[in-house]
Amino acid sequence: MTKIEKKFKELKNKKEKGLILYLTVGFPSIDKSIEIIKNCEKNGVDIIELGIPFSDPIADGPIIQHTSSEALKNGITTDTCFQIANELKNEIKIPYLFMTYYNPVYKYGIEKFVEKCVESGVSGLIIPDLPYEESFYIRKMLRNNDMNLIYFLTPYTKEERMKKILKKGNGFIYFVSLAGVTGPRESLNLNLIIESLKKIKKISDKPVALGFGISNKEQIKQIKSYVDGIIVGSSFLQKLIENEDEAIKLIKEFKEELSY
Amino acid sequence: MFPDKKGKFGIFGGRFVPETLIAPLEELEKGYKEIVKTKEFKEKLNNLLKEYAGRPTPLYFAENLSKYLGFKVYLKREDLAFTGAHKINNTIGQVLLAKMMGKKRIIAETGAGQHGVATATASALLNMECVVYMGEIDLERQKLNVYRMKLLGAKVVPVTSGSKTLKDAINEAMRDWITNFETTHYVIGSVVGPHPYPLIVRNFQSVIGKETKKQIIEKEKRLPDYLIACVGGGSNSIGLFYPFYKYKSVKFIGVEGGGQGLNTDKHSATLTKGEKGILHGSFSYVLQDNYGQIKITHSISAGLDYPGVGPEHAFYKETGRAEYFSVDDKTALKGFHILSELEGIIPALEPSHAIGYLIENKDRFKKDDIVVLCLSGRGDKDVLEVARIEGEL
Ligand SMILES: Cc1ncc(COP(=O)(O)O)c(C=O)c1O
Repeated sequence: MTKIEKKFKELKNKKEKGLILYLTVGFPSIDKSIEIIKNCEKNGVDIIELGIPFSDPIADGPIIQHTSSEALKNGITTDTCFQIANELKNEIKIPYLFMTYYNPVYKYGIEKFVEKCVESGVSGLIIPDLPYEESFYIRKMLRNNDMNLIYFLTPYTKEERMKKILKKGNGFIYFVSLAGVTGPRESLNLNLIIESLKKIKKISDKPVALGFGISNKEQIKQIKSYVDGIIVGSSFLQKLIENEDEAIKLIKEFKEELSY
Repeated sequence: MFPDKKGKFGIFGGRFVPETLIAPLEELEKGYKEIVKTKEFKEKLNNLLKEYAGRPTPLYFAENLSKYLGFKVYLKREDLAFTGAHKINNTIGQVLLAKMMGKKRIIAETGAGQHGVATATASALLNMECVVYMGEIDLERQKLNVYRMKLLGAKVVPVTSGSKTLKDAINEAMRDWITNFETTHYVIGSVVGPHPYPLIVRNFQSVIGKETKKQIIEKEKRLPDYLIACVGGGSNSIGLFYPFYKYKSVKFIGVEGGGQGLNTDKHSATLTKGEKGILHGSFSYVLQDNYGQIKITHSISAGLDYPGVGPEHAFYKETGRAEYFSVDDKTALKGFHILSELEGIIPALEPSHAIGYLIENKDRFKKDDIVVLCLSGRGDKDVLEVARIEGEL
């Protein structure tokens, strides 16, 4: 069992839902992001998604576009992300994954990238523009090293495809709540979301975490019984741009909501 | 032939997109395959290309230029297609397809503004709502086209992210499509993007090469020795090349934007200087740094100013079917002037690169060689910019 899979099992035993936090490495500054990452566990985060910034994040809305370009301006590279992960290895116990687009991984060299992930204690990868059909090589290499490649599903994924993805998926399934890019939304299409989540749960009992658009406690309350975890990114980063204390308060509130 | 079922040209192409776009791309592929072969679609498209877009465009023997260069040069006059460039071939096809697929809204990106204008034109004609994404820097250097799009009823949305040019306009258009695909068709302007776009755009642009083949055989009773075209994303060039693919005696030359020179960072010579990578949903050549971050490009012509290139070109390069070179801004300007003076044709800055290549490399061609150059667009849009660069304004 991988670290991520263990985490979900542990959460299940505690009858809790997981809080997965996305942040962009190097935002607002390199030092600040390291500090935030180190405090994640005590603030209620169960799994950390470390974003390696990419110049052209097509799945991301304005907030993550902004944090990514700022992080790049702050001098973040794939290598500095590995250095930071290395530094975290002995300091934090919760699993951390890398989230980035396919080109930085491909350019780094897939084998070398995976090797560096192993070295720096990374538990898995999320690559939004790497579709199921192209994923087997990386998936296998990660699997051989006890890491997970996280697959996506959306309310628009056809059932036949859903079955294939659920079969190969491991760690957890990243369920995208809407048609669109990342970014906080006031309201979500709950009927559509719940209908698809039920469909997924009927096919597989793998952990499912819902992401994209989550901005408040109310949404979490309405959805939590259908999922194993919630992924929060933009709404946290938006708060972080304004006021760090507010950002930390937000994730604590979210975890509270997910704890019962 | 290519692409294969997975949308691959050899190892290139494919569909590297977020999961949310898989279903709309499958819908588009299915819609395209079913609709283009219907009699209704074919008749409508052919009629529009003929009566509305002014096809076939002439294949003009440029006698003065030929004398100047020392070999025979024919110009495929895409500058005479309606709206002044080859872009209309693709937009009429795609907007008609979208309409028959039941879409209500059209979105597009644009660099030079030519594709934006061509999309706005087809949308006005076929009564579709139209939104065009355009980088702020391009908005500034192509003001006339911005106003043309507005006149045609399109909404032009300035893009302020990243490099504020074509690459980021594509990012924004993709983000719009990810959100609105149920009602909206995204008309990509070149042979780039995820499968099936490189296939669809190539097929709509192939009218250039098909006409050329017929025309050159009428005029010369034989196939040409060389086809030459500028390469931005690669649509006018693939449109010319593809129908000649199997005729191995016909050599293909693609010319990219060399900007201020390949030894600087200010160019857009993706095939000449780039490396393999993934951009905008496709595996091809990309201009990128050591960490895979996409580079900011430069070219005197907004239409070539792009860090990616169509996967079919990557395949042609890899297999040696085509050769790719770059021509710098200065040489392109030379081509711009020479064609204007010798033939009375003011070309767009994009095909001026191809003309510049012939001028710089005229020794490589023999006296009896027949060269067909795709004159992908007319220069009206660039006249002000060139005047500014040369201090005439
Ligand atoms: C006149 C003209 N030629 C060429 C291009 C380059 O595009 P492509 O390589 O797809 O033909 C453009 C793009 O805007 C253009 O306007």
